[in-house]
Amino acid sequence: MSKILEVNNLNISFHTFAGEVKAIRGANFHLNKGETLAIVGESGSGKSVTTKAIMRLLPETNSEIKEGEILFDGKDLTKLSDKQMQSIRGKEISMIFQDPMTSLNPTMTVGKQIMEPIIKHQNMSKSAAKQRAIELLKLVGIPMAEERFKQYPHQFSGGMRQRVVIAIALACNPKVLIADEPTTALDVTIQAQILELMKDLQKKIDTSIIFITHDLGVVANVADRVAVMYGGKIIEIGTVDEIFYNPQHPYTWGLISSMPDLDTAEDELYAIPGSPPDLLNPPKGDAFAPRNEYAMKIDLEQEPPMFKVSDTHYAATWLLHPDAPKVEPPAAVMKRKEMYPGYNNK
Amino acid sequence: METRKKLLEIKNLKQYFNVGKPNEVRAVDGISFDIYEGETLGLVGESGCGKSTTGRTIIRLYDATDGEVLYDGVNVHGKKSKEELKAFNHKMQMIFQDPYASLNPRMKVSDVIAEGIDIHGLAKTKEDRMNKVYELLETVGLNKEHANRYPHEFSGGQRQRIGIARALAVDPDFIIADEPISALDVSIQAQVVNLMKKLQKEKGLTYLFIAHDLSMVKYISDRIGVMYFGKVVELAPADELYNNPKHPYTQSLLSAIPLPDPISERSRKRKTYDPKMHNYQADETVQLREVSPGHFVLCSEKEFEQYKK
Repeated sequence: MSKILEVNNLNISFHTFAGEVKAIRGANFHLNKGETLAIVGESGSGKSVTTKAIMRLLPETNSEIKEGEILFDGKDLTKLSDKQMQSIRGKEISMIFQDPMTSLNPTMTVGKQIMEPIIKHQNMSKSAAKQRAIELLKLVGIPMAEERFKQYPHQFSGGMRQRVVIAIALACNPKVLIADEPTTALDVTIQAQILELMKDLQKKIDTSIIFITHDLGVVANVADRVAVMYGGKIIEIGTVDEIFYNPQHPYTWGLISSMPDLDTAEDELYAIPGSPPDLLNPPKGDAFAPRNEYAMKIDLEQEPPMFKVSDTHYAATWLLHPDAPKVEPPAAVMKRKEMYPGYNNK
Repeated sequence: METRKKLLEIKNLKQYFNVGKPNEVRAVDGISFDIYEGETLGLVGESGCGKSTTGRTIIRLYDATDGEVLYDGVNVHGKKSKEELKAFNHKMQMIFQDPYASLNPRMKVSDVIAEGIDIHGLAKTKEDRMNKVYELLETVGLNKEHANRYPHEFSGGQRQRIGIARALAVDPDFIIADEPISALDVSIQAQVVNLMKKLQKEKGLTYLFIAHDLSMVKYISDRIGVMYFGKVVELAPADELYNNPKHPYTQSLLSAIPLPDPISERSRKRKTYDPKMHNYQADETVQLREVSPGHFVLCSEKEFEQYKK
């Protein structure tokens, strides 16, 4: 499988009145051609900042890419000029935002908004672009596309608006599509429709997707691989089966245990204690250590490197060090391991 | 079931907006259900189905268009003196969805929490008042020092705890929680849900829990009502509803929840619901009928026979 996008040792800081916030502290991952990579983590873990960096949408006034590179098609996106970036953004890499209510322009008809990237990037005539826009509306499942083309965003429901946003993102057949919580603002039934649509379109136009979400159910539904972020780092990455049935990092354990599935009957849900780390003064060792009941002395002193679990599965926790004591993960995780014994050899 | 005391009886409640105008909205269209003392009733449905309006009408934030809400046998709506209203507000409280919008940013946490105590005159001295606030903060897992801060200094989960402390301040029996966890992160959701469960056990509270996250609702609720377009289409004990959904809308809703389990996700078959599929005739009465003990489904006589099987 060839890599289409590669993020190497990315470090991003924001300069605020209170000091330097180290939002991303050495993130490494890649996106394979044709796959869906889900990035999960709580708010403030750096999911959105990472993808905004890929799109070069971070505010220039107060943010800074301190280190690292983002390789797309052999080019380092962090080094491109604004002009060069404009020919990539929206054409080669495009984005679907979380809130369809605010990401569309309320004063423009949806047709115009879909035509915008087509005219800008593909040098089509207006009438050809219109044809293409109507085609796209049909593709994303909007009935009566010709009439809907002339309507304004407020005439659409939330699910329909998100379909329009997807149509805009797909207008130029992008190689990479970044979806930042595209279904969080939607109802479950609508969410299911949008997820089906995205999977269907992925097959049709052969794009690679980075899918950001905090809903593990959605991850299980769409992802091929999963990256778990915490405190500005990827702390575990692997195929969706590896993350769900053989998680290694205590934070991943916590995430999985704190979500009730439909037959959870225990008296108390597992809750990760405490709150996310303060990235103004990031902790010295493992950022998760203060909330981690399995933390060892070394967790407070030294950051764990990525340990290899399998060819596709890596996790940054000292528990994987050969000298570490064997610990028993929480019950909910053990249950999962049993459900899928193939990964039980550890 | 019969021996349990009904705390709240909702009878044919209707809430219309813009009555008599062309844009009349029937947000809640004749719903009836009971809430028993000490239980948690979950109310689910997609946005716009009227679940929040139901909660808000029950607590009298809206005046009901028609129907009755009986709390402990006394009608909530209708003309009431100030004293009667006060006594009623004492028993019923609400927790709101958005912890960022529901706390006054210009009030200290202690004043936010003590507002109810002041209105109802529950504290005799200033010291007494502050002690009550401290106690409440501790109950919800915050500490004393937080009393003198302002809401913006707290995270979402902490703010929701403040919202819960405010609701508890007047020692209510019944709490309406309108999507209390939707705005929170997954790991924080579990903390708040655990807190709500703990408080229920300690204080014998009754909850109406409104949400659209079905797996969390299943976890916290004893019984669940499913709403669709202003009507309750199915009402059943939580396990029964999930294992044996009867109404096609409930089935489609359940089939749409993504589960954190990649293997079952790969074989997911989603059902769709179209209200036309019932094909109700004009002479059929469509109402909630009990298909098995405690399990109610909105159906016609003909469907009722099918569902009973």
